Amino acid sequence: MSTIEYESRSRKRNYDEQRQRENRGNGNTPRRRKIKFSLLSIGKGLDMPFCLLILILLAIGIIMMFSASYPTAFYEEGDSYHYLKRQLIFAIIGIALMIGISYLDYHHFHRFAGLILAVSYFALVLVLILPGQDGVKRWIGVGSFGIQASEISKFAIILFLAHMGSRYYDKMNTVKYGLLPGLGVFASTAILLILEPHYSCIVIIALLTVLMLFVSGIDVKWIFIGAGLFLAAVLILWATGLLTYAMERMEGWGQALIYTTEDMWQTTWQTRNSLYAIGSGGLFGLGLGQSRQKYLFLPEPQNDFIFAVVCEELGLVGAIIILLIFALLVWRGIVISLRAKDRFGKLLGIGLVSQIGLQVILNILVITDWLPNTGISLPFFSYGGSSLIMLLFQMGIVLSISRSANIEKS
Amino acid sequence: MGANQRLRKRTVWLLIIILAFGFGAVIARLAYLQLIKGEELQRMAVEQQLTDTKVNAKRGTIYDSKGKILAQSASVWRVVLAPAYFQTDEQREYVASRLSEILSLDKAKLLEDTKENTYYVSVKRQIESEEKDKILELQSELSEKYQLANVVSLLDDYKRYYPYSELASSVIGFTGDDGQGLSGIEFQYDSNLTGTPGRIVSAQNAINTDMPFGYNQNIGAEDGHSIVLTIDETVQSIVEKYMTQGIIDNNVYNRGVCIAMDVNTGEILAMASVNGYDLNDPFTLSAEEKDKIKDITDEYLMKNGYVEDPSTTDKKELEKIRETAKSEAESIALSKMWRNKAISDTYYPGSVFKMITLSMALQEKVVNKDSRFFCSGAFNLYEKTIHCHDIAGHGSQTYQESLWHSCNPAFIQIGQLVGEEKFWDYYQAFGFSEKTGIDLPGESDDIFFSEDGSLGPVDLAVASFGQNFSITPIQMITACSAVANGGYLVQPHVVKQILDSEGNVVSTISTDTKRQVISNEVSKEMCGILEENAISGSGSNGYVAGYRIAGKTGTSEKLNDSNGDGVDDYIASYCGFAPADEPKIAMLVFYDTPLSGNYYGSAVSAPVFANIMAEVLPYLEIDAQYKDDEIENVDVTAGAYTGMNVSDASAQVEADGFNVMIKGEGDTVLAQNPVTGSTIPKGGTIVLYTDENSANDKVTVPNFIGYSVSDCNYIAASYGVNVSVTGTVSASGAAAKTQSIAEGKEVSPGTVITVTFSTGGIND
Repeated sequence: MSTIEYESRSRKRNYDEQRQRENRGNGNTPRRRKIKFSLLSIGKGLDMPFCLLILILLAIGIIMMFSASYPTAFYEEGDSYHYLKRQLIFAIIGIALMIGISYLDYHHFHRFAGLILAVSYFALVLVLILPGQDGVKRWIGVGSFGIQASEISKFAIILFLAHMGSRYYDKMNTVKYGLLPGLGVFASTAILLILEPHYSCIVIIALLTVLMLFVSGIDVKWIFIGAGLFLAAVLILWATGLLTYAMERMEGWGQALIYTTEDMWQTTWQTRNSLYAIGSGGLFGLGLGQSRQKYLFLPEPQNDFIFAVVCEELGLVGAIIILLIFALLVWRGIVISLRAKDRFGKLLGIGLVSQIGLQVILNILVITDWLPNTGISLPFFSYGGSSLIMLLFQMGIVLSISRSANIEKS
Repeated sequence: MGANQRLRKRTVWLLIIILAFGFGAVIARLAYLQLIKGEELQRMAVEQQLTDTKVNAKRGTIYDSKGKILAQSASVWRVVLAPAYFQTDEQREYVASRLSEILSLDKAKLLEDTKENTYYVSVKRQIESEEKDKILELQSELSEKYQLANVVSLLDDYKRYYPYSELASSVIGFTGDDGQGLSGIEFQYDSNLTGTPGRIVSAQNAINTDMPFGYNQNIGAEDGHSIVLTIDETVQSIVEKYMTQGIIDNNVYNRGVCIAMDVNTGEILAMASVNGYDLNDPFTLSAEEKDKIKDITDEYLMKNGYVEDPSTTDKKELEKIRETAKSEAESIALSKMWRNKAISDTYYPGSVFKMITLSMALQEKVVNKDSRFFCSGAFNLYEKTIHCHDIAGHGSQTYQESLWHSCNPAFIQIGQLVGEEKFWDYYQAFGFSEKTGIDLPGESDDIFFSEDGSLGPVDLAVASFGQNFSITPIQMITACSAVANGGYLVQPHVVKQILDSEGNVVSTISTDTKRQVISNEVSKEMCGILEENAISGSGSNGYVAGYRIAGKTGTSEKLNDSNGDGVDDYIASYCGFAPADEPKIAMLVFYDTPLSGNYYGSAVSAPVFANIMAEVLPYLEIDAQYKDDEIENVDVTAGAYTGMNVSDASAQVEADGFNVMIKGEGDTVLAQNPVTGSTIPKGGTIVLYTDENSANDKVTVPNFIGYSVSDCNYIAASYGVNVSVTGTVSASGAAAKTQSIAEGKEVSPGTVITVTFSTGGIND
């Protein structure tokens, strides 16, 4: 019996030998060309539609973030531009980082997948030790320079599953290589997230895990079994009345319009006002900058609930246009990923762009009271330095994938 | 299938799932919320964004007929706490202690309030501007110190003030905590007085400052209308002064009523149920009533069915029952105190009703100058004997004499002449069978007793002298006004005009004449008969010197025993009007259960009636025309003698028709009593002081009660005091009944003592 170490080492060796053989077959040109950084050819090899979609979303996002945040900024910070200034700085840093990362060979992440996963666990444990805010422990760092531990986790899990899925691509239909690693990272991360608590992130991670495993090629029956177990659990909870209890416990989830008394949860108040904002928007909205709910009715309109203000100001039409741009981004991102020459690139790209899609969907389900209000930000829109930088960093990886695929093609 | 193909295929599936299902679900959800639920959600949002502040309208003022303010609202404030804004216990502690200091409230209770997690706790109502200023200071202090601007706030409020406190309390009524009228005019005209509260609708953010998109709509409060009463404060005050005195003099158990009404217009000039209560503090019982409730005995509990046997009841249980009894007794006492007896109580009118019976007979022409009614002292009617108050009998009488004698047997005969059917028709025509419709709450219906549901001969006999039905005082005076004013039944009312907040007349209540009951001629004749009755008949105690008073006494049995002294209660009443030749004002005086021993209407109510009339008629600018024998008793005013030398002064005093009495040894008059301009009876004594020591001389007030007018004058002169004569002096047998300063009191020489004369009462 060979150990995993032996197995992986021998696989690596086989892989290297195969590459060398291929190189020899193609003449003396090296397999991968070094990408040289040049200001004159900054866009060389980058997928322009994808880049453009990112910049469009970022622009719309920052404008809407400014619109949503200025009353809060004025009343609470005394400066209407408080959030705008910071978000612009973060955006610039993020874009620079994105471009920088796009020059980096994404295969380096292949090597550090395990290490990054370890860092994510460390971060998740660290937040539990650090003092939290209002009984919630999600942030590392001080003040506005914090990062949510779950941001690292999401990236680490995508990376790790891409790593596993590419390394053991031919064993994905086994329980040991296909199912267990995914189940293992998900379960361990989920337990730590329950302690924070950060339920909505568990939902994202669960979906990301399933998604990564599915694309990696595990036996579909496991997905059906998992879905079946999940449904059964929900049914049992529902039948025993525990589901309602859980919904109540999860700070009034799904009941924003039922509990309208003053003693309701602060988060229920937020969701309720989010619904008011969305409803007020109607088909065409109240007009840019015309939201009323952002005047301190909707707490923190610049964060997770920014899309409620978008709906109020731009209406259903505006919301759908923005969602279409997101959809295009996801579609383009997947096209890029599928063009990657290696399996790791494909899986990593798919994971990263799907994550954006999932986060958009879940964010809107939260603000429309279909998921508990527990902190899912809207990519490119929600205020927050670390998450924006993290997001653009991940987009940088996708661009790096596109760059390497395009350059190899040319 | 290769790994790459599978990956591609699954990725396409994934894309479909995310884009079609995920984004599809999201768009569907948004469309549902924005298009289908949009309107509802927007309405809820607007409700939250717009603050709708109610602005209380100022309640209208109640004026008397001369424009004096009887009830008025003034701005006060309510202090409200929003404890949910507190962040630390230190803040709570600070606010509680400051509030308790400013508003003199219990700090512990306030501290508890500050711990509640709400935005509205009413701390104190109706604070006035001084406290309000301190609260404003506290507000600015809090916003500086803790940034807690909204934690303490003030709401506008109004408080009702009644400048005359007790005056006309049962008519004016009072308001509750929220400014709603609870009784009297305040209740009856509540909708007019209240006005329309205004609203300020403005778009505000969650911390209640205005939003930049500026929506602000101000719907101003419309202040309430003001009410002008027909009640005249002066007349009302006179009425209440004498009525209250009458309560004391006659030891009245169940309060008294006086109504003064303009006979032609139905305007009520005064309506008193004495003793009244302080409108500014309507929920406090009089000390006397409080005492009664405080000492609830076991006997009381037994008698009122609270317990069967106190000795066997558990001690704790008994105390509990006692508390219940107390609180019940208190609410009974309060409602009794608030009750407007003039319209809510019914009573047997008794002999007063004889004026109505005689009016019917005259109108029906069943009596004439040849009619004679014989009284043997009793009247037999179907095995029942009805006694006359004069057991010796009045002999043969004309109808006029029958009324002057207030003879029951004679009136039974007059009633028989009218007949059951006609009597019933007139009873209705005079308005006894229906409410008068006076614009006050709580008017009662009459109760007509009959043995078999129809008016039988016995019923008629007893009814003809007013003992078979019970009516309200307001019905009686309305009917009396009809007798006086030419036969017209007018609608009594207490509101003259309704004014808007700027004083413009919104509506004027005009005279509503319901019907003519008797002819002008009959009315004229009745006026003559009743005037004669007030001069020399049974109603002579109601006579006022110099005025043409017409009136009739009444003493009615209540047929129950409310005070528990084992004797049936009586109601003493007097109903009359003046001037008899051209009636202007009718008045009913009514005491419920006088316990001083003398319960006759002529003895208890008539003198009060006379006293009130004697002051009210001059006030109403009705000129006095004295008869010769009255002129002697008319008061004049004392001249100015101070500063003259003694001999000149005494000559002047005598020339002015007074007796002179000189005190002291000096040469100049330093002081005089009575002082210049004060009233003094004709031929009275004026004391002139010539040195300072003499001013300390005193004389003892002698007893006048029981003496005739001339005897009194003689006694007064010998003691060096003056007697002002009031009441009935013309009638034979008139004797002093009361004196304004009690016997034995030390007074300065020359002091004027008012002595009231009346004849003895008769039980009519």
